[in-house]
Amino acid sequence: MRLSITPDFAALEIARDAWSEPFWQWGEQGEVRMPACLHCGAFRWPAGPFCPSCRTQEVEWRPTGQARIHTFTILPISGEATKVRMPTLVEFDDAPGVRLVSVLVDADPDTVAIGMPVAIDWIAASNGKVAVFRTEATGDRA
Amino acid sequence: MGRKAQSAIVGSGATPYYFRGESAPQAVLELIDKAVLAAVADAGLHIDDVDGLAFFAFGFDTGMIIEQLGLKNVTFAHCVSAFGGGMAGMLDLADMAVSTGRARNVVCIGATQQVGRRVGQALGNFAASPDNIFHRIAGLNGPGQALALSARRHMHEFGTRREAFAEVVMASRAAAATRETAFRRKPLSMDEYMAAPMLADPMCKFDFCLETDGALAFVVTAADRARDRPQPPVYIAGAAQHGSCDWGRAFFWLGQTPEAFVSAGGVKVAERLYQLTGMTPADIDVACLYDHFSPLVIMQLEDFGFCARGEGGPFVESGAIRLDGAIPVNPHGGHLSEAYVVGMTHIREAVEQLRGTAVNQVQGARTALVTGGPAPTPMTAAILRSEP
Repeated sequence: MRLSITPDFAALEIARDAWSEPFWQWGEQGEVRMPACLHCGAFRWPAGPFCPSCRTQEVEWRPTGQARIHTFTILPISGEATKVRMPTLVEFDDAPGVRLVSVLVDADPDTVAIGMPVAIDWIAASNGKVAVFRTEATGDRA
Repeated sequence: MGRKAQSAIVGSGATPYYFRGESAPQAVLELIDKAVLAAVADAGLHIDDVDGLAFFAFGFDTGMIIEQLGLKNVTFAHCVSAFGGGMAGMLDLADMAVSTGRARNVVCIGATQQVGRRVGQALGNFAASPDNIFHRIAGLNGPGQALALSARRHMHEFGTRREAFAEVVMASRAAAATRETAFRRKPLSMDEYMAAPMLADPMCKFDFCLETDGALAFVVTAADRARDRPQPPVYIAGAAQHGSCDWGRAFFWLGQTPEAFVSAGGVKVAERLYQLTGMTPADIDVACLYDHFSPLVIMQLEDFGFCARGEGGPFVESGAIRLDGAIPVNPHGGHLSEAYVVGMTHIREAVEQLRGTAVNQVQGARTALVTGGPAPTPMTAAILRSEP
């Protein structure tokens, strides 16, 4: 059976700026939060300086709810017959319009499907924690 | 038909196409110089007649080109922002320049040389930023890997089959079989396609275009002077550019609207182009679509109205894009089978089709659509015509 890998992020240096910093701060606490406009409520991602809907600057970082697979791909790994890497795009029930680019770990590519709920997991990088996702079935295994 | 054309392509020039990196030790500017000189000769002009330059995708060192070619009187030198998406917009710049008198003979230039870098890994070539960190986490190093996410979504929403991707590739190979300039000329069968290794599931190695080197150039002049040139003029019926946050940075960020996510980002530019020219998809005889990845050809057929959204799969599987189909696509073999020079070979093919000199001539072709690449906005496209 093929299984998707958990990449090694130990050497990954996360580039941040003033607007993205809270995302990584919430990550340290084990939570994916996303910026919503204080004026119109629209989520925006990336966490840039202006709301694309109303051009307001201020945001509040809100909880995002259940994550689901919007789409994914399966990348072969050179020299590995049973290991693959699975980039995914995840959407959140409580943060409409936001799509997070990440990776599915410990997943069987033959059973993964669009729309599946996924659980968040956190992996240490050199200067923060990275949010990755696992299908709930394989997540229970851990 | 809508407005009369204001400008025309009167010269076309190209270097040979080289496999990735094999154009060395020529520098990319040397390739460009050669293409420019060939295009100027094809137009029956002298290099001193060139007074305008137009580029896209960040262009090239304008000063160096002017020095190397000894240009003395350049009154217009401009670049469409965006990446390959700006390709056809270069014709819009040239059209503007010659129709407003800013220049008389504008050379449109595009080239690529992949020495020490690969376009296929373009996403990994940039310095780390707060935004692209997510692609690194995911392992999305190239446009193809990121666009595989859209291809899967298109399959999910519309039932598009891998057989449709295969047909795009097989049609491209069938066209390339007769092309001396093509790298992949061997016909491809469905079985061979299905047996190929996946590079970014649901895309296999055949869904990815070539990585090659080369330079092309086209001379654009005002329509009223075009008939003085030796070649039959290929008129620019219209060229359009469009940017919108709905498509945004496309696969560089993957935050498109749900509708745009399963498109090739060309809906708005198509609308604008048809409005500008007063033409419709039914008026197009040949479609030269930027085919960096086969699923994106299907999405462009939908964007440009050759079929409805979601029907691109069955449309291509019906044989519609073959040379004798409803809308012949890339009779030169395109990026998938001939060569990849950031869309420039598509303009060359459109010119040859409308001059009536194409290797795989579409009988009676009078109009051709040329699209820029589905890539970060602005998106661009042009319609060329054999009559003004």
